[in-house]
Amino acid sequence: MLRFIARRLLETIPVLFIIVTATFFMIRFVPGGPFTAEKAVTPEVMRNLERAYNLDKPLWRQYAGYLGKVVFHGDLGPSFKYPNRTVNEIIADKLPVSLELGAWAMLIALGLGLPLGIIAAIKRNTFMDYLCSAFGMIGICVPTFVLGPLLALSLGIYLHLFNVSGWYGPTDRILPGVTLGFVYAAYVMRLTRGGMLEVLNQDFIRTARAKGASEFRVIFRHAIRGGLLPVVSFLGPAIAGILTGSFVIETIFQIPGLGREFVNSAFNRDYTLVLGTVILYATLLIGLNLVVDVVQVWLNPKLKFE
Amino acid sequence: MHQNRPRLGFFYCACLGLFAAIPSGCKRADPAPNAPIPQILRISQRNEPADLDPARASLPDELFIIRALSEGLVAPSPDNAPPSPAAAERWEISPDGLTYTFHLRRNAHWSNGEPVTAADFLESYRRVLTPATAAPKAPLLYMVKNARAFASGELRDFSAVGFHAPNPYTFVVRLEHSSPRFLAYAASGPWIPVNVRTVARFDRTWTRPDHYVGNGAFTLVEWQPHQRIVVRKNPAYHGAARIRLAEIQFLAFDNGDAEERAFRAGQLDVTMAVPHTKLDSYRREHPAELHRAPLAETRYLTFNTTRPPLDDVRVRRALSLAIDRDQLVQRVLQGGQAPAFRLVPAALRAPGDSAAHLGSAFRADPATARELLAAAGFPGGRGFPRLELTSWTVGAPLTEVIQAMWKKELGIDVALVTREARVHVAALREGHYDIGFITAIPDVADPANLLDDFTTGSPGNYPHWSDARYDALVAQAARTPDSTLQSGYQREAEARLLEAAPLAPLYFNATNWLMRPAVRGWHPDALWTRFYPDVYLHED
Repeated sequence: MLRFIARRLLETIPVLFIIVTATFFMIRFVPGGPFTAEKAVTPEVMRNLERAYNLDKPLWRQYAGYLGKVVFHGDLGPSFKYPNRTVNEIIADKLPVSLELGAWAMLIALGLGLPLGIIAAIKRNTFMDYLCSAFGMIGICVPTFVLGPLLALSLGIYLHLFNVSGWYGPTDRILPGVTLGFVYAAYVMRLTRGGMLEVLNQDFIRTARAKGASEFRVIFRHAIRGGLLPVVSFLGPAIAGILTGSFVIETIFQIPGLGREFVNSAFNRDYTLVLGTVILYATLLIGLNLVVDVVQVWLNPKLKFE
Repeated sequence: MHQNRPRLGFFYCACLGLFAAIPSGCKRADPAPNAPIPQILRISQRNEPADLDPARASLPDELFIIRALSEGLVAPSPDNAPPSPAAAERWEISPDGLTYTFHLRRNAHWSNGEPVTAADFLESYRRVLTPATAAPKAPLLYMVKNARAFASGELRDFSAVGFHAPNPYTFVVRLEHSSPRFLAYAASGPWIPVNVRTVARFDRTWTRPDHYVGNGAFTLVEWQPHQRIVVRKNPAYHGAARIRLAEIQFLAFDNGDAEERAFRAGQLDVTMAVPHTKLDSYRREHPAELHRAPLAETRYLTFNTTRPPLDDVRVRRALSLAIDRDQLVQRVLQGGQAPAFRLVPAALRAPGDSAAHLGSAFRADPATARELLAAAGFPGGRGFPRLELTSWTVGAPLTEVIQAMWKKELGIDVALVTREARVHVAALREGHYDIGFITAIPDVADPANLLDDFTTGSPGNYPHWSDARYDALVAQAARTPDSTLQSGYQREAEARLLEAAPLAPLYFNATNWLMRPAVRGWHPDALWTRFYPDVYLHED
């Protein structure tokens, strides 16, 4: 298993290198730069700006300089848009917010999706199943940009239970967490139901029942391990998606997370911030996929490392 | 490991219980009845400031906060009045109009207790003009003798630049040419001083709350990027007695709907804008909360004069005359915008200049437009190439209507293209477009700030148009000390620009915002300047 992990980590290096290189050059070839504005700056000011940000050097030298700093010092450089902050500082500032929001959303997704999925599978084709499946369907169909404002309107503006925006106190975590978690809860519910149904029909479950195991024991001791496999493979990309894809939620609820920085950095042509967030997200994705692979082998006796 | 599995179920149930319990325990506290209303103003901040350094600021949004924290020699006044005393309590102008002697207040202090002296201004302006500082708005100091040469690196000796500090409370500015508009420039953003010792000590991090030193009415106490910026009244400010607000919170929003929801939920006192879809319902149901004011912003179509058939003035005029601007404003925009028949908005015009249009007007005149197009070789639009009308994301409904007007009146088809904002501006700059929708926002209340953009080779000359007579008129205006004569030259230049029609002005923009009736003393400003001293909260 350790060899498996070590090999995968080694494979990560060329992947990251390609991602950084491609991003570096792609963002540079996008028309418009960090200092493009409808009120054009004068030529001498543009020269001064380019010199101050090292944009006057040949592109390959900028690239080599950047790569050197990242690899040897872990320094992602100063932000182009926010001169008083470095990209490292921005990420250190914003990532915990995104992580916290993602953690709440995940808690809701699993806390809601898993039990509902299990109940739906056990009570297949009963009213309970239809109720749970309806939840799954609605969750998948209602986009976050509809659910978010609806929750803000009903619970925030009419009932005055929560702030409709901001990330100040503990209660400000609830609306965005629920909104983001809801969609994922629906997916988790459907995957759990499907996985459980498949497992419950298998011979070893019938054997367990024939041997007189209680229903509780059958479900939670024998069935759940196989039944959760689809959820586990879903969780890797889902966690990465929750961290990167919370842009919409962050905008609706005005949360100072990394998702907005990621998207806005591209609009601002904040070259270093674009690269910094891309590197971070690429690492996250690769890391989470590795974790999922490990967990899957651990859960599924049919799979082996190598 | 396997033994742990059954407990999962209990864990899930516990989680569910926890979530059910949270909402009941977290009602928002209501303020105590009859308590005096706290003087805390909560304003929406739609653009996160890149920095709070006056030398590096390039957007009005940054100056919203910087102007609360620091003040220049003079400050802009509400309602387009001439600039008023700020760090300088009075000033004298030499008879030739070239030398301004500012007398600084002796009771002015930085927020760290140091006195504000003439040397601070001298060093601040040296910093703005030093090429390594890369101050984007340094050109607002170019009126000063040798400032441009120093900023572009041709001149190394700063003592040759027209700034002098003969004693701690006297600051002298010597200009390149006498100009009636100089004080408007002196009131602009890059003229706001910094505490150079603080800047030297903390370098790029000097604008953080624990380092910031300003000379203004408020001090910076909190800056959570993309969340909020909080400034608190500075009791050591020389004018503290007339400042009524105890605190201003600038709450970050980058979405109009989220901003409006926060206003409705009572989290905001002043918004930056109103979503277009909500204008009507506020007008009907909460007219006291909806506010509107004109802006010094001209939105126009730029024609790429290097591309045929747009190199033909008759074609450009035809396209311009076929647009019914009143319809655009009344039917499409509906936000208090004014149709534009010239480039310079009302707030920038000289006192005697109230004309809504100059020379040959752009009032909708489809008949003349058709004649001009026929004379250019395209009778009834036949043979006219399919041009592209490009805009950035805000242009959509407007450009569609213009497309329809051209089709109906001239029989020509244009394709609509929407580009990301910076891609769009870069394309205009490079000349990779046919017709582009764009906006002109002046930095200061001076027509020259807009007219300069259309001189030959200027980076803001999106039509890539060149006219020697126009260039000469603009240059002559800049050298003319007499304000009446100067605005005469400027009007002549503007008329010439409109005649040649490298651009088609469409409308003067307006701002709509929501504000609680409790907010008093708020002055809207066409150039987005904020005036905090008069603002207070009053509950009836």
